[in-house]
Amino acid sequence: MKKLLALCLIFSIISCNDQPIIDDSYLDGELIFDASTYNQAEYLTSYSNPNPTDSEKDKPVFIACHGYSATTFEWSEFKEWTGETDSYYISQVLLGGHGSNYEDFKSSSWLDWQNSITEEYERLVTIGYTNINLLTSSTSCTLILELLSRDYFSNTIAPKNIYLVDPLVIPSDKTLPLIGLIGPMLGYVESANTAEEDNYWYHFRPQETLQELYTISKIARKALEEGIKLPVGCSLKVYKSIQDPTTDPVGAVLIYNGIRTFNNTHIDVEMVSSDLHVYTRLSFRESISEIDDENQLNSFTDFVERLN
Amino acid sequence: MKLTNFLKSLSLVAFISTSNLSAQTDVILSDLKLRNVQTDIMNVGIRIQKTSGLYWENGLDIEYSNKSLLNDKLFFGFSYVSSRLGTALSSNAIKQDNYILSARYYARKNKKLRPFSKFNLGYFNADYGSELFDVLDNTSVITSLEFGLSYTFIKKLKLSSSFGYNFITGNGMEGPGTLYPIYLQSTISWNLKQ
Repeated sequence: MKKLLALCLIFSIISCNDQPIIDDSYLDGELIFDASTYNQAEYLTSYSNPNPTDSEKDKPVFIACHGYSATTFEWSEFKEWTGETDSYYISQVLLGGHGSNYEDFKSSSWLDWQNSITEEYERLVTIGYTNINLLTSSTSCTLILELLSRDYFSNTIAPKNIYLVDPLVIPSDKTLPLIGLIGPMLGYVESANTAEEDNYWYHFRPQETLQELYTISKIARKALEEGIKLPVGCSLKVYKSIQDPTTDPVGAVLIYNGIRTFNNTHIDVEMVSSDLHVYTRLSFRESISEIDDENQLNSFTDFVERLN
Repeated sequence: MKLTNFLKSLSLVAFISTSNLSAQTDVILSDLKLRNVQTDIMNVGIRIQKTSGLYWENGLDIEYSNKSLLNDKLFFGFSYVSSRLGTALSSNAIKQDNYILSARYYARKNKKLRPFSKFNLGYFNADYGSELFDVLDNTSVITSLEFGLSYTFIKKLKLSSSFGYNFITGNGMEGPGTLYPIYLQSTISWNLKQ
């Protein structure tokens, strides 16, 4: 009986350990925010160019969406690589609950994450943009798959291109399905970010958000099992690292088997020789190789070429 | 008169006692027969398996216990379960097959409810459906442990359910990505030999 009481006590102590000690040098704290939160015009095309001319309306817009726990920074290298151009716009969306602090992140759901994408999409459609392209990585790919599965784009202009970079469908960590059971005991999970990454990615991952992550990945997987058809005029390409410690490469197989174009053909898939998750972001990695640089360049070039 | 009644009662008691003794003897003999006559056991059944966070994979299960080797306690078996007979039957799920050899030990011989533990060794194969994915691992050795309970409904019909843990899984860097660690399975089987 004493042992049982001791176990209950340990369990309750562990269960209560849901609040990490947050250093303000982390994004999770109260000092660092994603820059898009106080300078939307710098990041969102709907704010930077809200009254497009007729020719601007037909110009391609990339809506660049980052992954779980990340920020707009994840696509900054693509923007830097693009430089000043008249050929297309890049609109960097910050997912709901991201880029602010631990409490905001903890209380956000996958629907909040997704709303930021659809809000920017709808703003662009409303002000007249017609050539919209969704450039997504990791969890934002999953959010787009969910939109496709419920025919979200049937009531609006369909995106011209959808790019899925290292999409999350199957997690590499196969214990994620147990998060509902063990999550309340853990409270949160600490990530292994580098010091610089801690300024742009949350260091602490609340178990509530991991449950949301598992929920949306499960929804997307089941939708793929049932089959998804792309809207008319929409093409989709998957770019997947062949080794990925975060999202299992087998997710590319599920997307390939689960999606057909409107003409009932297969989608495009490129298996990339990389062991990085979201290999298109190289800043602040512990080490990168020439092949990593090459992969990034090839993909950036391909994103733009597919606009034509 | 009293003596006559007493003798009648005595003979009745003696008759009843003799009858009971005879019936009890039959039960004991039958029980001894069951306990002492060792026979081979061959259970053949249908296995239904659900991986935590992934697919239903169903198939066949066969197990055998020899009369001279821990009879009715130690079983050697073979299972084939596949998503082809589960989630992939009518969906785009990956078609994957598990071929498993096993050794199972049952406790509580001659009881209806029996706990068991099982060691599995096998081979996993996934069909990704396109050459595009030849760069990914799609096969693996399976090693797993199961712990569960079996219940014998009638002499030949048995239901067993267990919790299983796969020691080798995919992790994004190597191994098939749809090989998960935790699963639950139930098998309903029929003894062909007894």
